[in-house]
Amino acid sequence: MNGIHDLGGRHGIGPIVREENEPVFHAEWERRAFAMFAGTFVFAGYSVDEFRHAIENIDPAHYLESSYYEHWLHAFEDILVKRGFITREEYDARIAKLVKNGGNDVVDA
Amino acid sequence: MSKPVSKPESDPAVRTRALESILVEKGLLDPKALDALVDIYEHKVGPRNGAKVVARAWVDPEYKKRLLSDATTAIKELGFSGLQGEDMVVVENTPEVHNLVVCTLCSCYPWPTLGLPPVWYKSAPYRARAVSDPRGVLKEFGTTLSENVEVRVWDTTAELRYLVLPERPADTENLTEQQLADLVTRDSMIGVTTLGSSAPTSASKH
Amino acid sequence: MLLTPDIVSAVASTGASARVAEHVAPRFRVGDRILVRNYNPATHTRLPGYLRGKRGIVEADYGVFAFPDTHAHSLGEKPQHCYSVRFTARELWGETASDRDTLRVDVFDDYMDLV
Repeated sequence: MNGIHDLGGRHGIGPIVREENEPVFHAEWERRAFAMFAGTFVFAGYSVDEFRHAIENIDPAHYLESSYYEHWLHAFEDILVKRGFITREEYDARIAKLVKNGGNDVVDA
Repeated sequence: MSKPVSKPESDPAVRTRALESILVEKGLLDPKALDALVDIYEHKVGPRNGAKVVARAWVDPEYKKRLLSDATTAIKELGFSGLQGEDMVVVENTPEVHNLVVCTLCSCYPWPTLGLPPVWYKSAPYRARAVSDPRGVLKEFGTTLSENVEVRVWDTTAELRYLVLPERPADTENLTEQQLADLVTRDSMIGVTTLGSSAPTSASKH
Repeated sequence: MLLTPDIVSAVASTGASARVAEHVAPRFRVGDRILVRNYNPATHTRLPGYLRGKRGIVEADYGVFAFPDTHAHSLGEKPQHCYSVRFTARELWGETASDRDTLRVDVFDDYMDLV
């Protein structure tokens, strides 16, 4: 698909912004999201091609505004729901619960 | 057919926490395995690996020959292999040719030798412009090349991963292999800088 | 299968190559002049838009890999050759581009035809 991800040669996207002494990760959630690639790949058995395609389906405006690991997160959600490892309902409920509790670890079994 | 595009959702930190906690509860994910992965890519794998490959190629012509003909095997000789470096290609800068690597479609990058990519490499502006305006991009990184030099851009669209072998700086004959490795920057192995040039934020030692 | 701490290091240092150990005849040889197809699927592809309809020269044959366009949609690996193809900057970006600069793009068998 020739979506927003197909960026080669596009004009008007702006200057390249660099960060001096950039850390490998910018937040704790990025560490977890990064590691979930191998973690989910092993049990869900998806291909890197399927993973990339899930990223290509992100809303195009949001694609440009969101970070790399948010793209990954979107792909995990998309693939794991599609393959039945999680349901959208239980996921949304868990997010709501975490938000209510200030985003802290409030998982009670 | 492609699915309908999905809408942006809540804070990625909360979503990540929610996803991890559900998967852990279901017994699909071991959080300690995630810790171990983070440790590898935050502390053990990084551009120092690539720098060792480059320095070895500079001091050992036989190694360089192997590196340019079968990069995956030659890099593995130094102990670097695996995820996002399964099939490596090393391209050599010369006085006639300057190589520059980009992934316009996503953010493919050789993890075993360079670690995880910096944000700018994954950003839309770099991906958009590196293929159509490489000299402009190089200039932003403080790299100005003669018009006589061919700029050769590698758009890494498939499963090959590319590492640039920069030119060895002048007057380094007396340096040891380790000292040479210390001169090699991440950005020079992506190809946005040369080791003769002084880019303001090219250093990436960690 | 569960990713456990004891296998993390092996998973990281082994990876998962997309190469397919299958003999597939290459459609092109090094030195062939090719034309990239005007191929514009709404599904996954690794053909960047800027290459459609452009002419290049095959520089290297990297061997046989899974084809992302089918693999992404669970339609099989459709193993085929992937090549390094040379394009001039002028072919891709027009007369204002440098007459010296070039690009190398990894292109699959199914994306191109012989000129």
